[in-house]
Amino acid sequence: MLSTVRSIALRALFLLLGLAAVTPLTAAASRGFNQLLDAVVRIDVREVAFEDGSRRFTGGVGSGVILDAEGLILTNAHVASPRAVEISVTLANLERVGATLVGWDHWTDLALLRLDLDEIKRRGLKFSHAKFGDSDRLSPGQTVFAVGTPHGLTRTVTRGIISNNRRYFEDNTGVRGYETGSFNTWLQTDAAINPGNSGGPLVNEKGDVVGINSRGYVGADNLGFAIPANTARRIVGELTRAGTVTRSYIGLVPGVLRDLENFYSLELNTGMLINSVDPGSPAARAGLRGGDILLAINGNKVDGRFPEQLPPIQNQIASQPVGSALRLSVKRGAQTADYEVVTEQLVSRVGEEWALDKWGLSVRKVSRTYARENQLPDDTGVLVIGVQPGFPAAVAGLSRGDIITKINDTPVASLESVKTAHAAYETAPAAVLVEARRNFRVSLYVVKP
Amino acid sequence: MKSPSVFLAILLILPAFARAADVAELWRERLKSVVAVEFFTETELDRRLSFAFATVVDDQGTIILPAAAISGRATPAQLKDFRIYRPGEPASNFSVGEYLGQDLYTGWHFLRIEEKGRAGLVPVTAFAGATATAPLIAEEIFGIGLRKKDEDFAPYFLTGRVAIVQTIPQRTAVTTLEIASPGLPVFTRDGVFAGLGTAGFGQSYLMFSERTRGGQGVVLVNSDECAAFLLADEILPHLGRIPTNVLGRPAPWLGANGLEPVDPEVAKFLKLESRAGLVVSEVLEGSPAEKAGMKERDILLEVDGVPLPRLKPDGAVVGHVEREIDRRAPGEVMKVGVLRGSERVTLDVVLEDSPPSPREVERKYFEQLGLTVRAFTYADGVNRRVKVADHAGVIAHFVKPSTALTTAGLRTDDWIKEIDGQEIKTFQDAAAKLAAIEQDTAKTEYVLLASRGGETAVLRVKLK
Repeated sequence: MLSTVRSIALRALFLLLGLAAVTPLTAAASRGFNQLLDAVVRIDVREVAFEDGSRRFTGGVGSGVILDAEGLILTNAHVASPRAVEISVTLANLERVGATLVGWDHWTDLALLRLDLDEIKRRGLKFSHAKFGDSDRLSPGQTVFAVGTPHGLTRTVTRGIISNNRRYFEDNTGVRGYETGSFNTWLQTDAAINPGNSGGPLVNEKGDVVGINSRGYVGADNLGFAIPANTARRIVGELTRAGTVTRSYIGLVPGVLRDLENFYSLELNTGMLINSVDPGSPAARAGLRGGDILLAINGNKVDGRFPEQLPPIQNQIASQPVGSALRLSVKRGAQTADYEVVTEQLVSRVGEEWALDKWGLSVRKVSRTYARENQLPDDTGVLVIGVQPGFPAAVAGLSRGDIITKINDTPVASLESVKTAHAAYETAPAAVLVEARRNFRVSLYVVKP
Repeated sequence: MKSPSVFLAILLILPAFARAADVAELWRERLKSVVAVEFFTETELDRRLSFAFATVVDDQGTIILPAAAISGRATPAQLKDFRIYRPGEPASNFSVGEYLGQDLYTGWHFLRIEEKGRAGLVPVTAFAGATATAPLIAEEIFGIGLRKKDEDFAPYFLTGRVAIVQTIPQRTAVTTLEIASPGLPVFTRDGVFAGLGTAGFGQSYLMFSERTRGGQGVVLVNSDECAAFLLADEILPHLGRIPTNVLGRPAPWLGANGLEPVDPEVAKFLKLESRAGLVVSEVLEGSPAEKAGMKERDILLEVDGVPLPRLKPDGAVVGHVEREIDRRAPGEVMKVGVLRGSERVTLDVVLEDSPPSPREVERKYFEQLGLTVRAFTYADGVNRRVKVADHAGVIAHFVKPSTALTTAGLRTDDWIKEIDGQEIKTFQDAAAKLAAIEQDTAKTEYVLLASRGGETAVLRVKLK
């Protein structure tokens, strides 16, 4: 058994790795296709995990594709994340080279790596790179190939077609607990995609990268999904420039208008239903509420009749600079009015994680989004995500799901304040009073040596 | 009554058990204090049959049922057809009972047996001792068990010895063996009333998880018999607490929510020595506690100058404070001593009658729609973190399964804020709107704005 399969089969979906197509004469004979094959790499990642109250190391394997002569490699965010401590890339010539993370974006499940060019130069290694195709021009039925490392089987090419070029798929915990899919649609393919294909390219017969393979349905036959190249190209630009993708947030939860046009007295293909408005969000403060219809953003009409139309609208909002004022035209009942909403920065519900080893406690910062989702008054505190049995935190009675809001007399405003308290304990172990809440009940605990 | 005499005869010929004859006689005499109760709980879809056992407490035909005998979700109006059966008599002979309500402090449900059904009943107080004495460890206790209806609720004898007496927070004795059916009396070897069998229906409070604060019960087996009883001095002084209305009003209210016990380590850290304390998680909006100036995270230490007792498990102290509130009347002042930071503060809280509960408010079932809505209550606001000023709409109290409503995504306990685009302010708004929808035969669909977990959704409900 090749046992390097990542254990990140999330819910009904698993994450996939790349593949390459070698099949029909047309592709096999194509120069571009051969060059593409030389640009596909296997990626081995060793990373830290803050679970069960301690810092542990785990490993995984995925695929990637080299994008340029500078050694930039595109892969999935669920393959390489900021938790990676060691990334090793196996080139087409089977040589292994180190790489570092340039940036990641779980919303689109993309991450960017950079090969260690010094090492390449020193060892005199050569590599090839791929080029992007235009994913907007794909049509269902068109032949595509997936290249990657399914189940650790390096350099596997599978063939299929584009099954759907605009699949809507949003998952609040889809990339290792992080949100994904709100701002892009996906390419669906029946090219065989298995765990380990993740991060590898989906290519056309010329070898142009049209997508990055990302996930598939477990237990289904050949229902695979890839991030469109045109989304990837944009994200690569942002990650190269800033190492991260900054998005705007206003707090709308969209719904589809299908079949509701009559009720809202709307013409077909007009407007987007606002199902909910996050409490305390910019949109809520501006006076928007669930049941409103968004007609236009800054005068640009929106059409959210069907689910696959929602990510582009969401992306239109997210793409605005943080802090910009949007003019939203909104219909409520028979009235239409404009609302000005000032965007704030989008943050994940998953905050930064850390392990406080001496206490046997792993924690995650409560983010603004997590606080809103869980109806907390603000983003004070860290969420307990693991305790090690027999260690001081567990003995004191803390458990997974508690939110630590105060240590001694200091409110937990940041992860830093918890680290500081823990460092003080490490230096001079003494009893610490911890205040934690769970389902709105507040309890006190003494963590002591 | 043939079989008991046979039983008696057998016992009499065994010299080693000479005194057992006395016990049998005592036991048989005390059967006159117990009855079986049958009733129905009518909901939107079904009519559920329940049985419970009750103890006679006076000569007016008043009987008490343990709290758990009747579901807390049922409203008094849903409780129907109370029938009272005598142990061992043909089930075709029954009398009718009237539901009087539940007493908040003891949790007991009170019923009154119709006059013609009272003959021969003896209140359990007739067997009370001159002075209340706590049972001793190893003391022998006997009690009454009743079989099911198909066996004419035949009485049987149960006995065991006292294993431990605990304050949790009511004084409760645990016995080595089952000693009574839930809610039925137990007696000392001499026939003196010792208490009421309790912790039936799961014996839930007998075991506490060591790891869980607040004493989450671990459910045990044998829901027909109890191996624990509330001591007589927890019973006898309170038998007069007959509710004057079925809702058990007035119901005193403090408004300090989420009382969490402070464990000994924390008490030591806070220099509370060996005192008991409760962290106040939340002070409810507009409550007596808020008016008196109580703050979130105050640590409650005293009531009327008396320190909270150190009870084990720690969670029992929560029950103690709840009972301190429940035994008072609205309008009474409760002096509450708290620790705030490092400062001791005493608050004079004037208790009030609590806001209407979900059981008490208006509700209506719309049969064609498969939906019961009820008024939004104060408790709904607390659970949904909604300020009083924003209380509006109605709660979907019941959503009939496999209907257009469930297809649309509505679930029980969802909060309905708009119907057909019209904001719902009151129960009357909703009832009028839903009645109109139900009557409009031409209508093909209606639209709800419902909220769950702080998020709203527009639901389209097809009628045809």
